[in-house]
Amino acid sequence: MAGENIVNALSALLVVTSLFVVQERQPKRAALLYGVQSFVLVSVFSALAFFSGTEELYLWALSAFVTKTILVPAILYRALRQFDPVQQPPGSLSPSIAMALAAVALVVSAAIVTPIHLPASAAFKPALMVSLAHFFLGLACIITQRNIVKQIFGYCLMENGSHLTLALLANQAPELVEIGIATDAIFAVVVMTFFARRIQAALHSVDDRELMTLKG
Amino acid sequence: MPGSWLIGTLLVTFLVAAAAAFATRGLGAATQRAVETVHVIAISIALLIGGLIVAEVAEGQRLSLLDGWLIVDPLGCNFLGLVVVVGLLTGLYSIGYLRHDIESGKIKATDLSRYYGFFHLFLFTMVLAVTSNNLIMMWVSIEATTLTSVFLVGFYGHKTSLEAAWKYVVICTVGVAFGLYGTVLVFADANAALANAQSAILWTEVVKHAASLDRATISIAFAFVLIGFGTKAGLVPMHTWMPDAYSEAPSPSSALLTAGLANCALLVIIRYAVITAKAVGPEFPQTLFLIFGIVSIGVAAPLIFVQRDLKRLLAYSSVENMGFIALGLGIGGPLGVAAALLHALNHGLAKALMFCCSGNVLMKYGTRNLDTVKGVLRVAPVTGFLLIAGALALSGAPPFNVFVSEFLTVTAGIKAGYAWLVMVCLLLLTVVLASFVQLIGGSILGPAPESVRKGDLGALTLAPLGLGLALVLLMGLHVPAPIARILAQATSSVVETPAVADRVVPARNPVENPHPTFAMDLHSDAGASLPGCARVQPRKDNACAN
Repeated sequence: MAGENIVNALSALLVVTSLFVVQERQPKRAALLYGVQSFVLVSVFSALAFFSGTEELYLWALSAFVTKTILVPAILYRALRQFDPVQQPPGSLSPSIAMALAAVALVVSAAIVTPIHLPASAAFKPALMVSLAHFFLGLACIITQRNIVKQIFGYCLMENGSHLTLALLANQAPELVEIGIATDAIFAVVVMTFFARRIQAALHSVDDRELMTLKG
Repeated sequence: MPGSWLIGTLLVTFLVAAAAAFATRGLGAATQRAVETVHVIAISIALLIGGLIVAEVAEGQRLSLLDGWLIVDPLGCNFLGLVVVVGLLTGLYSIGYLRHDIESGKIKATDLSRYYGFFHLFLFTMVLAVTSNNLIMMWVSIEATTLTSVFLVGFYGHKTSLEAAWKYVVICTVGVAFGLYGTVLVFADANAALANAQSAILWTEVVKHAASLDRATISIAFAFVLIGFGTKAGLVPMHTWMPDAYSEAPSPSSALLTAGLANCALLVIIRYAVITAKAVGPEFPQTLFLIFGIVSIGVAAPLIFVQRDLKRLLAYSSVENMGFIALGLGIGGPLGVAAALLHALNHGLAKALMFCCSGNVLMKYGTRNLDTVKGVLRVAPVTGFLLIAGALALSGAPPFNVFVSEFLTVTAGIKAGYAWLVMVCLLLLTVVLASFVQLIGGSILGPAPESVRKGDLGALTLAPLGLGLALVLLMGLHVPAPIARILAQATSSVVETPAVADRVVPARNPVENPHPTFAMDLHSDAGASLPGCARVQPRKDNACAN
């Protein structure tokens, strides 16, 4: 029971750390905060492995530590350091709205997760709910933020949410599958960062209101 | 299994071609010749291998590789053949189109290595998507199609193409993330039912045991899958990236995106629909298909009519046609599903032809604006003729291929008791027809502007279009027997009796039930009949035949 509580509490901590990522205006600092959040995700994987006895999850924790705590934040930090924090458009989410969105995401997730009856998630339903809420929070970040750099972080948050779902429900999948998903996620971040830099170079802005030429 | 090595060879061909194309960047002045040689060799080999695969599957073979992680079944073969053929058409067309871009100073010769590199990488990911039997690798490959094709969308590096590329990568990556949730839910449920992770990850195994899956979980999973992969397929309301991406990508890439990519995503949705129909009963997926289908057609039809940008018009036409395919799947039964699968092929070929034609217009007039593009038939007679044929094909006029699949879908709808829905659909198709008539009358016929030099483009940009038109006509007049056989087998595998549906929704007389299901239609004698093809019959080994 204590194990379940620890896993569920750590999962809830993911939502809290994601709010920090959403609210941070400086890209470099947001990259570091994302690294911190990913470390929480690694802790969830480790706790899950320890309490459920699923040894595969130690490997998942290790690969998430390498890719999400070190590699992706490093890529983002390096790629986004050219972005001047002064030029960043203000976020369209105030802290109170972000909190309210997180609450709505949790309610929606609860409604979706409640009818699901899977042995793999029986003990960790709150964690499953949080993982889905985290996914929706990332989606909300993408939709509401005017800054395209923040949209990349929104995707990263979504990806961490789905990674937790994967760990909760599909930790027995062949290792190659987890590697495939992690690789795809890294490439997605690299590709988005590449285009964000090209847009910054061409438009001298990362404000997505500048990307409104194509209509109709 | 004999012939299974063909799957690996096809994948390796595209991968090696991509690597070789990227490597030619360092060759300087020799880049163009080297990369075009690599490109032509690769698409020719791919066509040969694709032809061999289609022949094997038409003969009843099922190809499997890597312990069943990769398969070619009739359903996948339908789409694999399309990807390879459209890859050839657009690949050949790319040569003339990009040479023109170099001559006009839009790109440098060394940029060709980047274009062809991503072109073949994109083909690789699409082939991986249609051959993947591993549920999660299926997702990975669909996600990979976005990451490779976005470089084609943003190829020119203009402000507008970067905007389109950004919207494309963000919307599709986010959309496909929904698909991952659906995928994970299905895997977790199957793993609980099968108690074997190695089997639970294979689509073929999950389908076999779908009856024992949890209904609520699979229903939620399918909703996620439809939203996720429906984003890539271009179903409304997740279609918003499509007009931007298609209009900004080089024309041959637009053709490949609409004919290849959208259908790859559609195949994945169909594969999950098969699982869902067996686990939950067919009404649930069919209802969702009907809703997304008619909404997509309803939103796209007026937008096609008002477009003044040729490529955006074609993009909205793609949204409309993907909706039409969804409608066919929603109608269900052997005839509805066969019509939907045939329409996927027919629309892919016709749209590839039209996007390439739009490339010729762009080369000749330097714009896609239909207020400026006038008198194409007088300026470039062959291109004008091909445009008229393509426009008529997309508007559903006989004797072109789209007419056949649209007619079959309408027939299936009426037969299944969806007369009102079909009438609404036909009204919307009339708007689409009016749009293409407006295109023909306003831009293709009429006097030529003085400022545009008369004379057609070269053989390199016309021959692939001629080939495309021949295929469009062939599929309209008589579906070749091997393709018809594969379509029949694919339909059979989709409408295979849902074991659970028997339990949950006892098969009833179609006359008594206005909402026929996959299962019920198998009991009727409504076998689908394609031109030149035997009637589609349910598999004899299914439980419902008892």
